[in-house]
Amino acid sequence: MIIAADHLSKWYGQVIGLNDVTLAVPPGITGLLGPNGAGKSTLMKLITGQLRPSQGSITVFGEPIWRNPASYARIGFCPEQDAFYERMTGVEWVAALVGLNGVDEEAARAMAMRALDLVDLAGEARKKIGAYSKGMRQRVKLAQALAHDPELLILDEPLAGMDPVARRRTIRLIREWGRAGRTVLVSSHILHEIESMTSNVLLIHQGRILAEGNVHQIRDLIDEHPHTVYIRADETRALARAFLAEDGVLSLKFEDQALVVQTARPDAFYTRLTAMAASGELGTIHEVTSPDDNLQAVFQYLVK
Amino acid sequence: MSPIHDQGYRRYPGERSPHGRAWAVIAAAGLRGFFRRREFLGLLLVSLFPFFVRVVQIYAAANLPQAAFLRPSPEMFRDFLRQQDIFVFFIAVYVGSGLIANDRRANALQLYLSKPLTRAEYVFGKLAILLAFLLLVTWVPATVLLLVQIVFAGNFTFVADHLYLLPAITLSSLVQALTVSVSMLALSSLSNSSRYVGILFAGLVFFSQALYGVLYAVTRDTSWSWMSFSANVSQIMALIFRMPSPYATPWPVSLGVMVGVIAAAVLVLERRVRGVEVVA
Repeated sequence: MIIAADHLSKWYGQVIGLNDVTLAVPPGITGLLGPNGAGKSTLMKLITGQLRPSQGSITVFGEPIWRNPASYARIGFCPEQDAFYERMTGVEWVAALVGLNGVDEEAARAMAMRALDLVDLAGEARKKIGAYSKGMRQRVKLAQALAHDPELLILDEPLAGMDPVARRRTIRLIREWGRAGRTVLVSSHILHEIESMTSNVLLIHQGRILAEGNVHQIRDLIDEHPHTVYIRADETRALARAFLAEDGVLSLKFEDQALVVQTARPDAFYTRLTAMAASGELGTIHEVTSPDDNLQAVFQYLVK
Repeated sequence: MSPIHDQGYRRYPGERSPHGRAWAVIAAAGLRGFFRRREFLGLLLVSLFPFFVRVVQIYAAANLPQAAFLRPSPEMFRDFLRQQDIFVFFIAVYVGSGLIANDRRANALQLYLSKPLTRAEYVFGKLAILLAFLLLVTWVPATVLLLVQIVFAGNFTFVADHLYLLPAITLSSLVQALTVSVSMLALSSLSNSSRYVGILFAGLVFFSQALYGVLYAVTRDTSWSWMSFSANVSQIMALIFRMPSPYATPWPVSLGVMVGVIAAAVLVLERRVRGVEVVA
């Protein structure tokens, strides 16, 4: 096993972040699925050695990870929050972080460029990060996680805020990394996203691992609940007209420059949405997010 | 040869430097970043004006009989270091205020500390940046002045008569630079705004001096000098240069205050420099 936790707990004062978690993450891609506040980020920060366990133990590559910086070089971490110097260019920022792995400056720059190329950002590598779109920022974060050639990738909500095309591209990349022999732990609160990368999932809720194994078993549960999608686009009215003709769309709501859609058939909906974004026939789609209400409902059902 | 090129990631075949040297990467990146800024180079140049004035003084004393009264003395070196106080302050504010605050604002600490870099290495790398610049305006010009004296005098008599001078310059500069650097880093870790940190540092320096000034004005007693950040540094410098104490405060008290300030700063850094901010 690449990651193993044994009765792992983490609390912040009176608040429990992670509660008596025992798990094992095998090589390949594993999805960490849970609503916001479930403990996904806490678990990832424990795995990357940024937090000390309050109780229990966690090992990565068979070694305790806390205060073990030698192991950090084997891990690539993509945090959920932005972590940039806006005045730096993409390549400067990635190269600076690669340099911390003991690589000389010239090699660090070359590795940064290769990683940026892998996430389709080579053309924008010399632009300042301040000028990057949300999707480009997500990709440059992925590049820094990948650049030093780690064996284990920890990706915290890597698809958050990406447009459908960038989302599809990133999912493809993550699958390629899994096929190339890397171990990837990727978190999300959207089942559809995780399902498109792997069938192996860990379900986390209120700091506890609720279920683990094959995604298809919880798939049916998810489908019983309507799925909400928030789309920020230039032509929201045209998109709404197109969606009205779709099967499974339950409701449409306009918000400030955005369209909020409830669908009973998320798979078909996302496929159609990606096709629309790629063709550009209904204007530019800037951002697609999904609130975790639907997943929350499933978790509530599971914990009953 | 296959016409299809491998598009996969190519592994780094070179050597990786051993663990424990990542602080040097942080320090080198910081030093390079500041040397690229024109306004900072201007500040460095201005901070060397007193050095050039002292060079002229030493030259005149060595070559013009009527300027013999300008002859260098150990006091001259101590006074030079005290004169540099104002530049130490400006450089500390310019360089130091953002060293950790900017990383906190950019949320970069969580990424740095997920790399093979310990918190101690991170702090040491940041400290090295500020220390290097402060020593560049204190220890470096003072040591060069000593060399200039030897060159213009054409002999080693002055240095031989005051063998303690080079160690005194070195120790004084280190005490001053270390106290200022560690305090500034601790303040920088307290906020996400470098401006606020700059104001906080200025407040610490000026308020402590003003407090001492008021108490001195009321009591006419210099034994309150332990309250002043800069008076404590002056007191220790006088001791190192084997000169009479400028204040009535016993030097162990001044030293104790400075050690206390450094200890408090280290404690703040230990609590604040974390990849994940834990609010408990």
